[in-house]
Amino acid sequence: MNASGAVRLLLIEDDLEAAQYLVKGLREAGYAIEHSPDGRDGLERASAGGYNLIIADRQLPHLDGLSIISRLREDKDATPVLILSALGTVDDRVRGLKAGGDDYLTKPFALAELLARIEALCRRSAPAPETTRLKIADLELDLLSRRVTRAGRPIDLTTKEFQLLEFMMRRAGQVVTRTMLLEGVWNLHFDPQTNITDVHMSRLRNAIDKGFSHPLIHTVRGAGYVLRE
Amino acid sequence: MSASDTQTTPQARRRMRLSTSRLAVLFVVIFAAGVTLALTAVYFLTARVLDKEVDTVITSEVNNLVDIYARGGLLQLTATLHRRADGWGRSGAVYLLAEPNGYPIAGNLARWPLNLSAYNNEFNDWVEFEIDASEAGGVISHPVRAQILRLPGNRWLLVGTDILERRRLASRLRIAMFWGVGSSVLLATLFGMSYSRRIRRRVRAVATTCESIMAGDLSQRLPVAAAHDEFDALGAAVNRMLETIEQQTEMLRTTFDSAAHDLRGPLYRARVRIEESLQHEGLDDNARQTMEATLEELERVQRTLGMLLQIARTDGRGSEVPTEEVDVAALARELVELYQPEAGTCDITLEFIGADSSVTRGNRQLLAQALVNLIENAIKYVPRGGRIEVKVQRAADQLTLVVADNGPGIPAEERHRILQPFARLERDRERLGSGLGLSLVAAVMRLHQASIELQDNEPGLRVRCVLPVPQDL
Repeated sequence: MNASGAVRLLLIEDDLEAAQYLVKGLREAGYAIEHSPDGRDGLERASAGGYNLIIADRQLPHLDGLSIISRLREDKDATPVLILSALGTVDDRVRGLKAGGDDYLTKPFALAELLARIEALCRRSAPAPETTRLKIADLELDLLSRRVTRAGRPIDLTTKEFQLLEFMMRRAGQVVTRTMLLEGVWNLHFDPQTNITDVHMSRLRNAIDKGFSHPLIHTVRGAGYVLRE
Repeated sequence: MSASDTQTTPQARRRMRLSTSRLAVLFVVIFAAGVTLALTAVYFLTARVLDKEVDTVITSEVNNLVDIYARGGLLQLTATLHRRADGWGRSGAVYLLAEPNGYPIAGNLARWPLNLSAYNNEFNDWVEFEIDASEAGGVISHPVRAQILRLPGNRWLLVGTDILERRRLASRLRIAMFWGVGSSVLLATLFGMSYSRRIRRRVRAVATTCESIMAGDLSQRLPVAAAHDEFDALGAAVNRMLETIEQQTEMLRTTFDSAAHDLRGPLYRARVRIEESLQHEGLDDNARQTMEATLEELERVQRTLGMLLQIARTDGRGSEVPTEEVDVAALARELVELYQPEAGTCDITLEFIGADSSVTRGNRQLLAQALVNLIENAIKYVPRGGRIEVKVQRAADQLTLVVADNGPGIPAEERHRILQPFARLERDRERLGSGLGLSLVAAVMRLHQASIELQDNEPGLRVRCVLPVPQDL
């Protein structure tokens, strides 16, 4: 973060109309964002450093997104990179991530999805200390004994529900989208027809929020969920 | 649709070996029969010529002697015989003139060699017998062929030839014949075996290449040796065909990719504009609803496009898709657990049946997507109170994946068509859906060289996929 405290982003995108919209949306969300319209220029700016996150289109004039990543990594630059791509097949995603990309988003996407992923990546770049206990408000999750309690009362969860809660607690305060849940909890890199995660989330909700005066899991309309006090 | 129809299965390979071996054996048998026939004919013809020569010599000698007897009587004949029979060892000629009782008068045989009573006829008779002759190496039995004649005055005349050399020649001829036939058969067998192996190897090379081409690697080419034979001609022709197909496929793929890319651009901008407008305060509810519905429609178009792109990519680039060891049973169980609550809200029982672990090699994401499509399809079509079973079963060299439901099923005549992109049943026209779900499943199975079959679950649909398991797993 720079002196003003804002997170600095670099967007490398050749679709000017889309870029304009993203820049506007990200600025409104409180990010300091710069835009570069082609790969070569983008790499120059990125190499100059100072960004918390780079958002690069995969197909760019002069130099494509994956090449930008490999050049950066050759220079030992570990700035997280989020790839935007019109190539959305399963192996395109896997390949993009294997090439050193930190996240992969297929166009067209909702702004909310991008915001959620940016937030997650920026948090991740500041590594969390190794911990065996996660805690938010009166909810506690023990990674070793795999026990969950709320206000001291033990809560029974299935293996998947436990994984889901752990995923949410590690991202407490951040918006988590359905796609992020499928990727992170179920390791599925494609979008099913049905919003299959909703049912699981409502079960988890039943387990940890039912009978307590203030809920911890909140729905973020048009985006996903957030776990917060 | 069954990929295994076109594959070289172990059985087919065995059949192929049998057919070339059978051809080789047939070749050897025909060749050996031909050689044997030819050599046997040569043997018998030669033997006959030799025998005939002997008989001709004897007959002319007999005629000559009969002449002498007729002209000069017994005296003249005896003298001639003495002169001629001075040593049969030299000329090989055997003579004997005997009294009617068999007592020898002249000739080079010490006694009458045969039982005379058998030869009481007037005319000449052919006989063969053996006589012992002492030579340098000891007593050797010599075969003799002779003509016996009753002279006027009832005396016997025997004129013959030692045929030992001829017998020896014949036996040598026989031995040569056996060797000839034997070595020809041996050579033919060796040649036939190596030829059949060569053909098999070349056919197998073609089959292997074709398999990897079918698996999606269009860059493969048939091996063309420099032999300039029919195989090379065939290989070169097939390679030219592959070249054309690869170019066309590549063109289609780039066209498709850029079309998809170019469609995503405007789709993305449309979405961006609607999202932007939705953020305006003071938007009336009617407009908001319309825009949200439009956004949903856009999402459907996007999904269809993504699915099409996925099918095209899956079909086109078999060898490029990364594979890993996938525990299909664990994956299926996890996906069943993922969908159980969803099925539950529709009052449908969704169950996994199978072992804890069943591993094969494949692409986990694509297999997961295929399974998700099958499960979602089933949930969509099975009525309330229905039942869906996902079964995984592994045998030594294959893994069977079954998704069976007791819904409305698919009529037998539609089952093949329904795997093609955009194919839908008439009764489902009203429902939402792209008509791509099952064709993506089929594409994923093709990529894994698996077969997919739609069967009648009586009632309901039973989708049965059989995936090959590599030998090292």
